Amino acid sequence: MQTREETQPLLSLRDISKRFGGVRAIRHADLELRPGQVHAIVGENGAGKSTLIKILSGAEQLDTGTITLDGEAIGIRTPADAIERGIATVYQESQLFGELTVAENIFIGRELRRGPRVDWAEQNRHVVELLGRLDLPADIATRAVSTLSAAEQQQVSIAKALSRDARVLILDEPSAILTQAEIDVLFRAIRRLTDQGVAIIYISHRLDELFSIADVVTVMRDGRTLGTYDLAEMDVRRIAELMVGGEVLESSRDRRGTRGQPRLSLRGLGSSGRFHDIDLDVAPGEVVVLYGLIGSGVAEIASAVYGVDPITAGELILEGRRVRPRSPRHARSLGINLLPANRKAAGMFSFQPVAFNISVGNLRYFRRLAVWLDRDRERAAARGLIDRLAIKTPDERTHVGNLSGGNAQKVVLARQLVERPPVLVLAEPTQGVDIGAKEEIHRIIAELADAGTAVLVTSSDLGEAIRIADRLVVVREGTVFAEFPPHARQSEVLAAAAGERSGTDGGSAAQEEAPS
Amino acid sequence: MTTLTTGRGRGRILPPPVTGQELVLIGVIAALWLMLTLVTPSFGTAASLQPLLVRLAPVAVIAVGMTLVIVSGGIDISVAASLMVCSVVTAKLLVGTGLPMLPALLVSLALGGLLGAINGLLIVYGRVHAIIITFGTANLFQFIGLRIFDSQTVNNIPAAFAFLGRGEAGRTLGVPHSFLLMLLIVAAAWWYIRHMPSGRHFYAIGGDQRSARLAGIPVSRRIMSAYVLTGVLVGLAACMTLAGGTSTLDQNVGRGQELAVIAAVVIGGTSITGGRGSVLGSVLGALLVQTVRSGVTQLGWPSQLANLFVGLCIVIAVGTDLMRERRRAR
Repeated sequence: MQTREETQPLLSLRDISKRFGGVRAIRHADLELRPGQVHAIVGENGAGKSTLIKILSGAEQLDTGTITLDGEAIGIRTPADAIERGIATVYQESQLFGELTVAENIFIGRELRRGPRVDWAEQNRHVVELLGRLDLPADIATRAVSTLSAAEQQQVSIAKALSRDARVLILDEPSAILTQAEIDVLFRAIRRLTDQGVAIIYISHRLDELFSIADVVTVMRDGRTLGTYDLAEMDVRRIAELMVGGEVLESSRDRRGTRGQPRLSLRGLGSSGRFHDIDLDVAPGEVVVLYGLIGSGVAEIASAVYGVDPITAGELILEGRRVRPRSPRHARSLGINLLPANRKAAGMFSFQPVAFNISVGNLRYFRRLAVWLDRDRERAAARGLIDRLAIKTPDERTHVGNLSGGNAQKVVLARQLVERPPVLVLAEPTQGVDIGAKEEIHRIIAELADAGTAVLVTSSDLGEAIRIADRLVVVREGTVFAEFPPHARQSEVLAAAAGERSGTDGGSAAQEEAPS
Repeated sequence: MTTLTTGRGRGRILPPPVTGQELVLIGVIAALWLMLTLVTPSFGTAASLQPLLVRLAPVAVIAVGMTLVIVSGGIDISVAASLMVCSVVTAKLLVGTGLPMLPALLVSLALGGLLGAINGLLIVYGRVHAIIITFGTANLFQFIGLRIFDSQTVNNIPAAFAFLGRGEAGRTLGVPHSFLLMLLIVAAAWWYIRHMPSGRHFYAIGGDQRSARLAGIPVSRRIMSAYVLTGVLVGLAACMTLAGGTSTLDQNVGRGQELAVIAAVVIGGTSITGGRGSVLGSVLGALLVQTVRSGVTQLGWPSQLANLFVGLCIVIAVGTDLMRERRRAR
């Protein structure tokens, strides 16, 4: 570590830029990686981390700039190029084959042979040695990957990356899916590798853990690298400030007077292994945002309120009555409507027209004589909502799959608004939509609240959380960690969600009590 | 470190040669045979078992190819139609030219391979799901087959395939040759899929095609080879069917075989979504189906009961598979 300054950089990126159409994903980024070093890269969603990684791993190609390996300029055109140069990447999603053994997975596509057949013994010998490097038990070499835990599978992915003599190992959010004990195991493996001279690029949203594993951190914002800092001289708050910049976000909400009784209350709500002890009130006319990083449990809270994930502890109180939604259908009949995260997988019917996407789920409302659908009413409602939400579509017969992401999201939102819902739960309402649509969706959310709906939003988008929240609740490690009023500072919220070890040291939890 | 590999023998390096589900199948089949032998003494006799094995052979042979196809994430529902084309062409050839067995067999294999190649090409380059492609080609092949039949049965087929037949000429020491040939093919396929790199690739492709491609596996070539191999085996099965029948061939040949084959593969523990399965299991599945059909006949029960039992087998096989998956998912 002390020789860091003297060692020759193993890999360096100079003045890298990359555009996607009109979007400048990376602008003049620089990075210098030294052998035996763990180099963290942090930045908000969209800051350019993943694009940078993709350029290094050969999945994307740079527009301008140079990559130097061992002082020699190189080009990385394909994933195979990167692997050949000793740059290996472990992605978040597993690329292993469940039914094959660990040893087979590591050698798949380049099997060692004896005559025409696979040389099992030789492959196994290599793999056992490799597992030893990571301090993994030798006997998992012959187990089918599907029988291993997520953490073990990740270690196997690392072993696979190393099996091709990787000198640079890129870990893309390796800790997101792991428990604390598993993270410790991962860190031990990383340290063994750095001892062997491997350089590691470590992507993470969890700033606190950087201090236990990384040597230096490069902060990215808006596609730029702001600089590389020695972690010994940093703290969570300073990194968070660099990530979000000095920009002060105006909260779009002006708080109105008293809101009266809460319409929806969560009392000690828990779902085993997902989240626990959530206490929360949402009053009519109020927008409460639950903000947390991926893996913090925020997404699961929304699912549980809507009856998708089971509630195993605590209670849900709706207008003074205890309720326990058993299914989305049940939740809706109680008056809780949900805009699901990931509209493509859980929200929209791409091959169906806009009107269908709006009326489905509200069919009782459009029923005539309890039998057939009132098509005129369906059309009228669809047209009304298209106007009200300013959905850009030729007409209500257009298939949703043909609309832009933002407009498709508005269609899915429109479905929840056919009958004015008393409670609206929105999960990641603006994920994957363009900036214009995002602002409109925020405006719609504000209007709904002003009209008396109790709105609960879960979001991993910090800017959004601050902009729309009347109250911003930070969820971390499955429970409420801190609460902020409107106009909270971005860096404080981020520091609470991503790093500071306890709620008391920054004082952010204690500092703001909900006015009661 | 090496003590680990050498000390405990091959069982440590490889997955077990026979999986749990296959053992269960062997047990069920053994129990069925025992029961049938006790209840109807005629079941255990050569006169009853020989036709069973002769009928088993073509289904099991196609199931070998189908296993590769399904493990790699595809499916081939055109095998019955291909079987019809191969048998009618071969039968007409035998009638018209009096070809000896070997050339006729080669013609049938080549024709089957060609039909399989059509499937493979369409699937690899068409990028449409295999069930749609082979559903289309099944109709196409059926049309071709029926045109060749020309609304007539093929009569007076010379007994060129007697060697594979159900008569005395088709047996050695009482064991039908077609069954022996099937055993040979199963053993070869078992070894191939277990020990050859390209055999292992089918599991990777069925597990995750994109990752397989990234791992440097020639995905298109492997998929292609699975369909061609299935076609060739259909060609062989056509000859077995010709040999196992009478000297006439009618338009019903092969009807329903695709479902019999897929049933065998699924009962044998192969996941219909790909990535997992075994040749041995598929053959055991075929044997179970055939045993049930024979058993129902010999017990004098109404033959539709056989469909009920086969259906139950499928439900049980898929059910246990699902339960195992869900346990694992936790």
